[in-house]
Amino acid sequence: MRFLRAALARISGFLAGTPAEDDLRDELQSHLDMETAENVRRGMNADDARRHALMASGGLTQAAEAVHDQRGLPWVDGVAADNKYAFRSLRRTPAFTAVVVITLALGIGANTAIFSVVRGVLLKPLPHRDGDRLLYLRHSMDGAGGGNVSFSVPEVNDFRAGAPSLGGIAEYSPWTLTLRTDNDAVHIDVGLVTGNFFDVMGLSPILGRVTRASDDGAGAPPVMVLTYELWKSRFGGDSTIIGREVKLDGKTVTVIGVMQAAPFFPDRIDGLLNMAISEHHVSAMMVQGRTHRMTEMIARLAPGATMEQARTEVATVDARMQREFKEAYNPGSHYRVAVIPFKEALGEKARLTLLLLMGAAAFVMIISAANVANLTLMRGVGREHELVARAALGAGVARLRRLLLVENLVLTLVGAALGVLIAIGGVRLLVSLASRYSPRANEIRLDATVLGFTLALSVTLALLLSFVASLPQEGTFASIIAAGGRRMSGGLRKQRLQRGLVIAQVAVSVVLLAGAGLLTRTMVRLSDVNTGLKTEEVLTMRVQLLDFSGALDKQADALAKERYERMRSEIRALPGVIEAGVGSPLPLSSSDVKFDVKADGKTLASGEGAPSAEFRTASPEYFRAAGIPLISGREFASSDRQGSERVVIVNQTLVDKYFPHEDPLGKRIAWTGDVLRFTPISGEWRTIVGVVGNTRDGGLDALPRPVIFSPFEQELAFGGGLVIRADSNVAALATAATRIVHRIAPATPIEKVMTVAQIKDQSVSPRRLNAALVSSFGILAVIIAAVGIAGVLAFSVSARTNEIGIRMSLGADRGRVQRMILSEGGVLLAIGLVSGVACAYLAADVIHGLLFGIAPHDPTTFIGVAAMMAAIGIVACWIPAMRAARIDPAITMRS
Amino acid sequence: MPEKMDVKQGTLALMILRTLEVLGPLHGYGVARRIEETSENRITLNYGTLYPALLKLEQEGFVTAEWRQSENNRRAKYYALTAAGRKQLARETREWQRTSDLIAAFLAPRREAP
Repeated sequence: MRFLRAALARISGFLAGTPAEDDLRDELQSHLDMETAENVRRGMNADDARRHALMASGGLTQAAEAVHDQRGLPWVDGVAADNKYAFRSLRRTPAFTAVVVITLALGIGANTAIFSVVRGVLLKPLPHRDGDRLLYLRHSMDGAGGGNVSFSVPEVNDFRAGAPSLGGIAEYSPWTLTLRTDNDAVHIDVGLVTGNFFDVMGLSPILGRVTRASDDGAGAPPVMVLTYELWKSRFGGDSTIIGREVKLDGKTVTVIGVMQAAPFFPDRIDGLLNMAISEHHVSAMMVQGRTHRMTEMIARLAPGATMEQARTEVATVDARMQREFKEAYNPGSHYRVAVIPFKEALGEKARLTLLLLMGAAAFVMIISAANVANLTLMRGVGREHELVARAALGAGVARLRRLLLVENLVLTLVGAALGVLIAIGGVRLLVSLASRYSPRANEIRLDATVLGFTLALSVTLALLLSFVASLPQEGTFASIIAAGGRRMSGGLRKQRLQRGLVIAQVAVSVVLLAGAGLLTRTMVRLSDVNTGLKTEEVLTMRVQLLDFSGALDKQADALAKERYERMRSEIRALPGVIEAGVGSPLPLSSSDVKFDVKADGKTLASGEGAPSAEFRTASPEYFRAAGIPLISGREFASSDRQGSERVVIVNQTLVDKYFPHEDPLGKRIAWTGDVLRFTPISGEWRTIVGVVGNTRDGGLDALPRPVIFSPFEQELAFGGGLVIRADSNVAALATAATRIVHRIAPATPIEKVMTVAQIKDQSVSPRRLNAALVSSFGILAVIIAAVGIAGVLAFSVSARTNEIGIRMSLGADRGRVQRMILSEGGVLLAIGLVSGVACAYLAADVIHGLLFGIAPHDPTTFIGVAAMMAAIGIVACWIPAMRAARIDPAITMRS
Repeated sequence: MPEKMDVKQGTLALMILRTLEVLGPLHGYGVARRIEETSENRITLNYGTLYPALLKLEQEGFVTAEWRQSENNRRAKYYALTAAGRKQLARETREWQRTSDLIAAFLAPRREAP
């Protein structure tokens, strides 16, 4: 209270100013008068009395200053003066100021932008209630596509019963539905959830209600909770939406609520429904089939329970399940369950990329700070005179330190302000990058926390910069002044510091360049990957005439096949089209539909995981239309139809895996496994009639998986699409082709109309952005480092002008002087290069996961990077060396 | 000439408060004279010491100040103790006594151990 009161008094005193000063003068004067009068009373004459009184006072001006300091905020007065001075002296050296401010702006801008992404995507608390207690359970196994195999409902129930530390377990099954309105139809991605989903997730509705226990089960009417995004984009944020009925897959669904904005998981979704919408999800098959895994599991830690408890209990339940239901868990596949904090699961894909960028940005910051430190040091030497003079006039070391600090604060804060502008632009770019990796990209903001980070960074930099500059020591002023203030060398310690900074700059630049090199080569390698298609003049489009339940209807299936054939033949007749085919899924698009396979006459070794393959369908023209090469055997023919012999075409990977050193043609294979009974696919033997080349269906960086194609006619027409090949400019066909499709199937959404080139680009572009970002950081670093080397050498040359003059007058020729300076820079460069390559060698392991087709210690990249840095470094040394060689001994000796 | 003493940090405020308690409202000159006399001239207060201390006490709310006519018809700024000032004086006096008792006990001639 007392301090508060005193502080308020001081602030008001600081603001009051002049009247208080007048008052004090009067008061001091009255004191003096009284003392003078007293002295007179004691018998002094008037003059002596006044003189004595003045002597006793200790000086009126000093007293006034002391009171002034007590009254107001003396440091504010001082800092204001320092500020004025700082601006003035920075304006006097515009080149220095500009270089420092720009360097800092780049460093701070890069860091602010990246930090805002890291915060939005990885650090910020989730919008979910007690989001830190949310868990995601991941079921995985060995083998292709085994990274996440989901859970079956019986498995989920086992965890519900056996893991009490999971306070609530919600089921979430990703699903696609067709939303039909009067004028169009779109596919929406939804999650089918249990009634407790929102309670477990800790999400609330902003309108209406969310699902509850009474929405579970087959008898409940289907209801939908819209995500905030769909509500805004599709329904225009209509607040009367609650209770409205919409048509989904031909069924009537009531909209019951709109969910608060929250990150999607695990994929982008538009809405959440109860299970009742899908007959399949409430069927005995789904509810009782232990291997029928299509449910994601989200749990909430029970109050008081810990992560460790949860992990132990989950592991116990998992082990018991595998013991009790041996047939559902092939021992060779090593089924396992991981318990992951939900927030981590959300950031999983983005983490490595973001850490890489954060690291790169931090490196740029280090380099720019080192450069600014060097510039400050050099400027500090030039200012030794000024500082000594100030010290001699009574400024203490603390006062000088404060002056430097204020100057550096001005520099870093102006740099930070510019940096924030850079960051605003950068964040836009980064959000598009982040949205490929994280469902939280829309949470990225330059908010108060981020700006606080920026401010903290600037102040820390200013503090560091103020303390690298050495100040004249108290007590040594006299000697410096006595020496005529000519000690302009900068001192050994300072030079060593400068050199150390240059070495660090070179080393860090090498690390960044190495990263940029590896990522760029990764991108190049990736775009060079052969898709497996002979040509890029291929257009694909997804046209899903039937949804899953519709495909089970024989009549609808036949009708759909007929319509597909009509689309195909009409598109085939378009001018420029070489071939058109139908199949599912489309080439170069990934598929989750895979089952175990067995080959006639082959048995599995004990403990060996069951082989599996992707299930795909193709019309006879599909391979020719997609440009997938036929390696041996034949393509499908129109005679391969319903009722005829079951035939299949397999890809090369399947042959390599299951028929090495054998001719696969004529061999028989069949789908197998427990899961098959949940599908309309039969386990009959099928004869291999052809082998086709591999295609990169899971993305350019994913290895091809074994695939078995069945004739489109012999399987259900579920999830089909068209493949069109043209002689040139296939993209131009898109309009004509979609018009045909739309005419034949007006109510069906046409999706993913993409050329092969576009599909390829989708796979490459995140890497391209990575490479571009790190490369620009790398280039920035090299430029700053080059300026750093040149600056330090130039400074060294100017400090050694006298010495060089003497050397030259004693017979050293220009070449020799030039070599001397070059070697001075060369040593720094060499040490920097060696330590940089060593650091890069270690750091490369970290980004291993982001590389493709290139070893983290790729010698070509490392040699190239070192050579590039060396070349730039030598150029940077050359300029000051030339200047040194041009020194005229006659002039330097005379001055 | 008596030996001069520095005013120890923190003691000046106590002296001023005590002076105002004993003599009632008083101007800066009066306070200085009283302190110098009480210390038998071992302390001299220059303005640069006295007036910041008075201002500090005023900022803390222990004294109030107002301009008045002095006994010999001069205008002077008079300082008066507030209620908070009285409390503070009592508190500080207690603390000083405790401290000085403690120091006295420490510095007392030690009895040799038997």
